[in-house]
This record gives sequence, structure tokens and C-alpha cells, in this order.
Amino acid sequence: MSKQLEIKNLSVTVETTEILKDLSLTLPRGEVHAIMGPNGTGKSTLAKALAGHPDYEITSGEVLLDGENILEMEVDERARAGLFMAFQYPSEIPGVSIANFLRAAKQARLAEGEDLDATGFYKTLYEKMDMLHIDRKFTSRAINEGFSGGEKKRNEILQMAMLEPKYAIMDETDSGLDIDALRIVSEGVNKLRGPECGILLITHYQRILEYIVPDHVHVMWNGRIVKSGGKDLAIELENKGYDWIKEEFAEPAAKA
Amino acid sequence: MKTANGLADQEIFDAHLASQSASGAPEWWLDLKRESWRRFRKLPMPMRKDENWRFASLGGVKLDGYELGDSSPPEIADKEVLKRSENVRQRAGRLVFSNDRLMDSEAISEEWAKKGVIWLPLEQAVREHEDLLRKHFMAQPIKLGSEKFSELHGALCSAGSFLYVPKGVEVDLPLVAFHWTDRNNAALFPHTLLIADDMAKVTLVDFFSAHDRSSRNFICGVNDLYAGPGARVTYISAQDWGRDSLAFHLNSTQAFKDAFITSLNVNVGGRQARNESHSQVLGEGAHTQMQSLTVATGKQEFDQRTLQTHFKGRSVSDLLYKNALLDDARTIFSGLIKVEEDAQQTDAYQTNRNLLLSPTAESNSLPGLEILANDVKCSHGATSGQIDDEQLHYMRARGIPEPVAKQLLVFGFFEDILGKLENEEIAENLRTLIRSQF
Amino acid sequence: MSETTTPELDIKTDIGNFVYPEKHKYDAGKGLSEHTIDYMCEVKEEPDWIREFRMNALQTFREKPMPTHWASSDLNAIDFDKIRYYLAGDQKPSRSWDDVPDDVKQTFERLGIPESERKFLAGVEAQFDSEAAYSNIKEIASKQGVIFVGSTEGLKEHPEIFRKWFGKVIPTGDNKFSALNSAVFSGGSFIYVPPGVKVSHPLQAYFRINAQNFGQFERTLIIADEGSEVTYMEGCTAPKFDTATLHSAVVELVALKGAKIQYITVQNWSDNVFNLVTKRGLAHEDAEIRWIDCNIGSRLTMKYPGVILKGRRARGEVLSIALANDGQHQDTGAKMVHAADETSSNIISKSISVGKGRATYRGLVNMPKHLKGCKNNTECDALLINTNSRTDTYPAITARGDHNSVQHEASVSKVSAEQIFYMRQRGMSEGQAMSLAVNGFINDLARHFPMEYSVELKRLIDLEMEGSVG
Repeated sequence: MSKQLEIKNLSVTVETTEILKDLSLTLPRGEVHAIMGPNGTGKSTLAKALAGHPDYEITSGEVLLDGENILEMEVDERARAGLFMAFQYPSEIPGVSIANFLRAAKQARLAEGEDLDATGFYKTLYEKMDMLHIDRKFTSRAINEGFSGGEKKRNEILQMAMLEPKYAIMDETDSGLDIDALRIVSEGVNKLRGPECGILLITHYQRILEYIVPDHVHVMWNGRIVKSGGKDLAIELENKGYDWIKEEFAEPAAKA
Repeated sequence: MKTANGLADQEIFDAHLASQSASGAPEWWLDLKRESWRRFRKLPMPMRKDENWRFASLGGVKLDGYELGDSSPPEIADKEVLKRSENVRQRAGRLVFSNDRLMDSEAISEEWAKKGVIWLPLEQAVREHEDLLRKHFMAQPIKLGSEKFSELHGALCSAGSFLYVPKGVEVDLPLVAFHWTDRNNAALFPHTLLIADDMAKVTLVDFFSAHDRSSRNFICGVNDLYAGPGARVTYISAQDWGRDSLAFHLNSTQAFKDAFITSLNVNVGGRQARNESHSQVLGEGAHTQMQSLTVATGKQEFDQRTLQTHFKGRSVSDLLYKNALLDDARTIFSGLIKVEEDAQQTDAYQTNRNLLLSPTAESNSLPGLEILANDVKCSHGATSGQIDDEQLHYMRARGIPEPVAKQLLVFGFFEDILGKLENEEIAENLRTLIRSQF
Repeated sequence: MSETTTPELDIKTDIGNFVYPEKHKYDAGKGLSEHTIDYMCEVKEEPDWIREFRMNALQTFREKPMPTHWASSDLNAIDFDKIRYYLAGDQKPSRSWDDVPDDVKQTFERLGIPESERKFLAGVEAQFDSEAAYSNIKEIASKQGVIFVGSTEGLKEHPEIFRKWFGKVIPTGDNKFSALNSAVFSGGSFIYVPPGVKVSHPLQAYFRINAQNFGQFERTLIIADEGSEVTYMEGCTAPKFDTATLHSAVVELVALKGAKIQYITVQNWSDNVFNLVTKRGLAHEDAEIRWIDCNIGSRLTMKYPGVILKGRRARGEVLSIALANDGQHQDTGAKMVHAADETSSNIISKSISVGKGRATYRGLVNMPKHLKGCKNNTECDALLINTNSRTDTYPAITARGDHNSVQHEASVSKVSAEQIFYMRQRGMSEGQAMSLAVNGFINDLARHFPMEYSVELKRLIDLEMEGSVG
């Protein structure tokens, strides 16, 4: 069985508009791939469609997680199969503490009749919190309620650390973060990097890639991956901007 | 002049019908009146256990000792009445009634008349616009407790204004109607019917006043507002009836798709004054605003019953009722937001604020919700309290004497509504009316 | 942090859905008449003043109309002639756990009362059908002079305290169902806490209905003497039956100067039960009464715990949670009657409507003339789970007087699709996500519950939320 997340010819429509067009991408475990591209090009759509958001209709293609097609799965089944998404805008859930939330998420991954070891859970939780410089008092705070932008993103990384996904899609995790918060979040992600986890880093800016150095960089434009390369591609984009991409890969009609 | 014992007497109705007939009212109109009278006679007077009359004083709700307003000519000269009806100078047209008799009909200017705008005294509209009247006159359900009084209005009303604005026409100056009384024991039934067709825009203002502040009258007014798709309607009323009067003002609004209706009632008059407002949201994108400002003094009782019904979703209704209470006055606010099944994505709000300026004043609040759809934003809030001590202290610390500071705060209480009125001349009129109560 | 110690509980879907063979020695038959009352008084060997009290109440009950001019017309479905008004097991109140009949113990077992909680049962007054099946006072409380007995025992053995307050907070004629209870009450608790005594453990009572067509009419009277403190907890579940069951209790609390009473209820009636309960407390100077009320299940619950704030600086509080599932109507709320200066009251109500369930809040706040410095705060939040779930709010607030203030706020919300998506992305099923969101919604109230009750509450909510989505 191939340990990789394989996106094959994926097309996605949102409210009758086709956003992703025949997109293909392979993310092996143990690697970090960055997807860059201008705003409105379909990056976040890719993340949400992979996670299984009901507003995103998949019109063709398949997504194989370690060889298994996940498109037939419900959102929570995909999550339990090992797919994690760090949200660009995490939901606020009043009254549900981080601790209770994560316990429920962990419990959902156990076999029926099996109980979560509470002591072990808290031990791990505190370790991960310390690693991410999150105050332990946060465990009793309601999920994301009243959190600053940086706190929300750190909370996403904390959940990723706790749920130990096989593949993590990080949707503009760097947006809205100041330089200190960005460093903390990046350090966290780097610690979670390893042979058992593949990371898809979706970003608009090259900045985060200085901290999380990717194995591959893909450029997305108009619903497709139009260019792939090594980490240097990100620097090239940073220097040249996105305009040259737009010109090079404009719709054939416009080009003619 | 004949003095009747009560408005429920058959001979009162017979006399009214005869006079209507004599003035050339069509038969269908007389039939409507006969039907209303028949239903009026059958309906019971409100009773203590009626939920719609909870907290209301029923002792003074009587029909005895009144006579029809138009049964004898007004005592105050026409000229004087017209002079007192000059406070809105920028207007598109004006109607003046005294004791339910038409005193002056200032036709709508040529510009609007050409575009098809109709602005007429009700009696004339009955003769000339049967189709519109048959469709809209008293066509809305009365659900807030005054069914009987509404039927009495239907049976006995003759004075009032009729306004029709055709599709796409925008009337940028307000139409104004004045209803005066100068006679004790006169019963009045002022009517307002406003129909704004698709994308029309219009403002109508009603002034209700007694020349003599101590006057005793029975008033049962009805105003119905119809806003077709995309129409924008503003309705404002100022009520300053005599302080021994029993007054009912029954309002219904219908807002169709993308319509916007604002209604504002300013109340200072009457011994016992009851307002019922039923706002029906009948189309997606519709937005209704229901506002009320009341100054309650002496032993006055203001009784406010409201209903915001959302039949269609993606719509907004927003209610704000503010009462300032002095002396031994009482207010009752009873409101209900009703979101019907499947009216999803409704935003409905209801707020009642009572400013208690005397330890013996009494405010009652019954803010209700009935929600049958889950994807909605609905909230209500009711507060009753005094002038904020901190604010008062702050103003005094700046050297403002306490009475002045208090007055500023009380006037400020009304400003969040008055300050937002587009028409500054009308806003100033309402300010004067409110301030004269202190 | 409380989360660390919350035990995970096994969810049994058949909880509350089992029946044991009935063996009732005393049965007054169906229907209500003077004869029923005579029969009850004789079996219970009650004094004459109680017989007279019951007979008068029966008269009042007959005269009072059904309150359907404001309440649900579903009340008309109650057939008073088909109800058994008195029924008692042949168990005498027992003093130790060993004396408790096995089937009662089994009932506790099936209810899934956690092991940790059974420790508390040592101090429990548990009622099985009408009569106390098990009664034992925690030794320490007894040494402090606390009286904790069944209402029948209370009126017989402590008449000097009992008579002074019985029926004074809730007069017979308060409403039709308080009159009914006054006519046929049996069971319930009588508690007296002497001056200055602070009862360290909550006193508890479990009771359940276990006979078809049998109405349960328990009567509880709690008196906390000056400066004392007590917490009372009751929990109830009922097995399901085909014909309607009526439960109509009356609970009276008296907090004398500086006393504190906290009364906690978690109930889960089966959905054919009419649960029509009158609960009211009288708070004297500097006293505090707090009702914590959680209503799940029943066909129709009507319950508006109240506090009469009779003494200066008295405080009253109602915290309530209601969950209405398909076919259920929770008509609950609170009453706060301010009758002295500087009294304050607080009402927080949270309701959840599932399926076509209907949750109604009805409230009354009254501040009469000549009072100074009174405050009330009311918050009502409703959560609607399904498209056509229903919620209503009908508060009535009267404010007068000098420097009094009232504030009422209500809101309606739903669990957003985005929240559910977020939780499902973390691997939870839709039902689990919904359950978690609902528990979050009531979390700030549930924190006020003793730990074992909040666990029970969470479990009941999980049970109710099963199958609510999709």
C-alpha cells in the first residue's frame, strides 16, 4: 500500500461555479508540500473539498488516502482515517472546553467499548501544550471563543499534535499572525514533521516557508497546479510576484 | 343635537348610515358597514382573563356617554384650525379633519397627480376608487385583542386619508393629515390607508390632537400600511388626545418582497391609550421597523400590543418601544415575535425600554417569542430602570445642575429614534410635543 | 479543573423503560372523591386537621377551572377519573441499606447511578411510589438536630414546626394542581434545619413512578432556621406506559433570616407523563433561595419555581435547563416576587428543542410600589436543533418603586453548520458533535450542579440527542 495522499483529476464546484479544474497532486507521507498562489485561485477550496465540506461539490476525480478513496466518506470518517485540516477560520464553540473537545475527538477514534485513559490523555495534552507555549489554563477555555488570531492558530496546531494525523492540510495558517506567533506555530509544525505525517501547506506568502522549509512547492492558478518545483520556487515567486504566472498560464482564449 | 347613551346603540349606527347614504356613499360601502356593525354587536367586550388584556385596566374601557363626532359642526373656526395645522410646511398635500368632519383638503401637487398618485379624503376615495378600497380597506386580521373596537371602527368611520402611490413613483415630500377635536364626548374614528405599489416611496404623517387638553373623547383609529415589492414607506403619528380620553389606534403593516417600512408612534395623550401594531412580513428581503416613543404622566395608562409575524424568511423586523414614566403613570408593553415554520434566516428583534422617573410609576413588560424555525436570529430585551446615577454624576461633575442634567438625559432617551429621522421639520415637531410634557 | 475527574459513562438506551411487578398493599382505586380522602387518612392514620385540610382542598380543586386560557390545551387530555390517587407499598420506611428491597436497589442500578454516587445513598431519602422506601439520615446531620423524614412522619411527629409553615408558602388555592396535591398528597420530604446549622452533604431523594394510571403527589416542606444552610437534591425517572401518568408535586421552602436553601432537581420523565409542579420559596431577611431545575422528558411539564423575597436583602435565583424532544412540551420558567427593599433576583433559563419538541419559558417578575433598590436580571436562551423545532418566551415584568431595576434578555440560536463541520473534521460523528454543542450551550449553568448531577445530566442529554440529526 502506498503511503501517500493522492489527488487525481479533481474538479470541484461551488454554487454552480467550477473552482478546481482537473487538479492532480501527490503528497507522500514524511514530506511537506507547499501550495502557493494568488488570492481566489482555489487554494482554500482544495482544503475544504478534501476535508469534505458540504458546500463543495466534487464533480469528478478521486482522492486516495493510502490507496483508499476518501470521497465516499463523511467528513468525520475522513478525519478518523487520518486527514486533518487546520482551518483558516476556526469555529468558535461556546461552552465546550478545549479539554472536553479533544477528549471527545480522541474517544471517537477508539474502538466501541474502549475508554480513553484520562490520565494519559492529560499527560500528553500538557506535553503538547508546553511544546506549543500554550498556557495550561487554556484547557478549560471554550474552543476558540474570544481567542486572538494567534491563539486560534496555535489551538489548531495543538489539535493536530493531539490527533496525530497521517496527512495535515494547513489552510493559510500563517494569515493574521505576527512574527512571534508565526515562529511559535512554525516550530510546532516542524516538531510534528516526520516520516509518519505528510503536510500540505497552503499559503499566499513565502514568509512561513522560511520557517517551515518545504520539500516541494506547487503554484496554483485558476483551479490547477501550473508549476511545481523545489523550495527555490517559493523564493522566485516572492521576488517576481504572481503576475508572470498569470500571464504564462492565462486562459488559452485570452492568450490568443 | 341628540346625546346618545352609548356607541353600541342601534340608533347611533342608523343615524350614521343615513348620513353616509345622504352624502352619496355607494351601496357596497354601506353593506361593509352593516356587516361590521353586526359583528361588533356580537363580539364581547374584553375580559380580565384575556391574555391580550393582561395588566390593562378594564374599568375605563366603556362605550357609554359618547356621541358621534360629526353630529354637529365644530365650534372652533375653520381658519383657526387650519392655522394650527401648519406645523409641517414642506409637504406634498394636507387633509384636516375636526370632529371627523373634513375641514380642508389640500390636493396633491400637479407633479405627483400626473404620475398617478392619489391623495383623497376617505369618503371621496370610497366613491371614486372602489377597487382599491374593496381590496385593502380593513382587510388585515386584528389579532391583538381589539377585534370588537376594530369592527366598531369599520361600522362608524368616515373621516380619514387615502393615499395610493403607483409603481416606481417616489414622493419626496410628506403627506400630512390632522385629526382634531374640540368637543367633549365626541367619538372619533380616524382612518388612514396607505398603499405603496412596487418600488414606490412615500412618507405619511398623522397628527391626532384635542384643542382642549382636558377633553374627554372616545377615539378608535385604524391605519393600514401596504408596501408592495421594493416599496419604501415611512409612517409617523403623533397622538395628543385630551387627558380624559379613551383612545385606540390599531395599526397593521404588510411588507412584501424587499419592502422597507418604518412606523413611528409618538404618544403623549389620552387617559387610557391603547396601540396595537401588527407587522406582517410577507416577502423575502422585507424589512420592517416598528418604533414608539411615549411620555406617560399623571395617571395615564399606555397599553402597547405588538406582533411581528414572519411568514417568509431572509427578512428583518426590528422593534424599539421606549417609554418615559412620570407621576402615577402606567405602561404595558406586550410584544410577540412569531417566526412561522420554514421562515428561515429571519432576523427579528424586539426591545422595550422603560425609564421610571417616579417611584409610583409602573411599567409592565411582556416581551414574547414564538419561534418555529431554527435558522433565525431572534432576541428580545426589556429593561426598566431609573436615570443612570453614574451618568448624572458625570454631568454634575462638569457643573451641570441636577434638574438640567436629568432633563438632558431624559430628552437623550428619545434621541436615538428622533435623531435618525430624515425629515428634520417633523423631528422638531415631535421633539416639541415630547418636551412640552415635562 | 473538573474535566479531569469526570467519569465516562456507559450509555444505556433502555434506561427508564422497564417495569417491575406491582405489589401494592393499599390502593384507593381510581377516581377522586371524599371517600378517597377518608380512605387515605385512615390508612395513613392522619390527624383530623389534615383530613379537614384535604377535604377543603378537594373542594377548591373542583371549583378551579383548568388554566387553559393561558396554558396548553393539552391539559384537557388528563382524565382525572382514571387516575389512582393513593397507593402505597407494604414497605415501612427503612433505616439501613440492607433493609431496602432488592427491586428498589435494582431500580437504582438500572438508572445507572454511578458507584461514586451510591456513597451518598447512605444519606438518602428515596421514595418508591407513594411512601418512603428507604430513609436514613446521615449521622452527622442527625446529630446536628436536622430533621429529615417523610412528609407524613413530619406532620405527625413534628406538628409544632410542620403546621406553622405547611401550606403557607403555596396556599391550596394557588392553582388547580396545588389544590389537587393538597387534597391527595402523600410522600415527599419534611426537613428542618436548626439555627446556624450548615448541612455539609446534600440531602437526596430519588423517586419514580411505577404503577400505571398512578399519579404521584408528593409534598415537600423544607425549613431552614436562622443562619442555617442546606442543599436538597431530587432526581426522577419514570418507566414508559401506555396511558398517561400525572405527577403533581408541591414543594415549599422557608428560609428564615440569613438562611440558605439550594434545591436541585434533575428529572427525566417518560414522554406520557404530565408533570405539573408548584415550587415556591419564602426568603426572609438576608436569606437566599436557589432553585436549580433541569427538565428532560415528559409529555407536558409545567413548572415555574418561584421565590417570594419577603425580607430585606433577600436573594432569589432560578437556574433552569429544559430539553424538549419530539412530542414533548417543556413549559417552564420562574417567578420572582419582590416584597422588601434591596432584594435581588436572578433567572437564567436555557432550553433546547429537538425535532418537533417545544420549549416554552414563562416568567413573572414583580416589583411593587414603595420598594427601593431592588434588582432583577433575567436571561433566556433557546437552542433549536431541527428545522421545525419550536421555542416560545412569555415573560411578564412589572417594575415600580425607587431605584429598582429589571433587565430581561432572550435569544434564540441554533448549532451552526460550520460548528458541526469543524467538530466532524476532528473525527466526531454528527450526533457526537451535536451532543457536544448542546452540552456546551448549557455548560455555564451545569457548572452550578454538583458533580454527579452534571454527569447524569450530560448522560441524559447524550441519550436525548441520539438520532436527533440526519
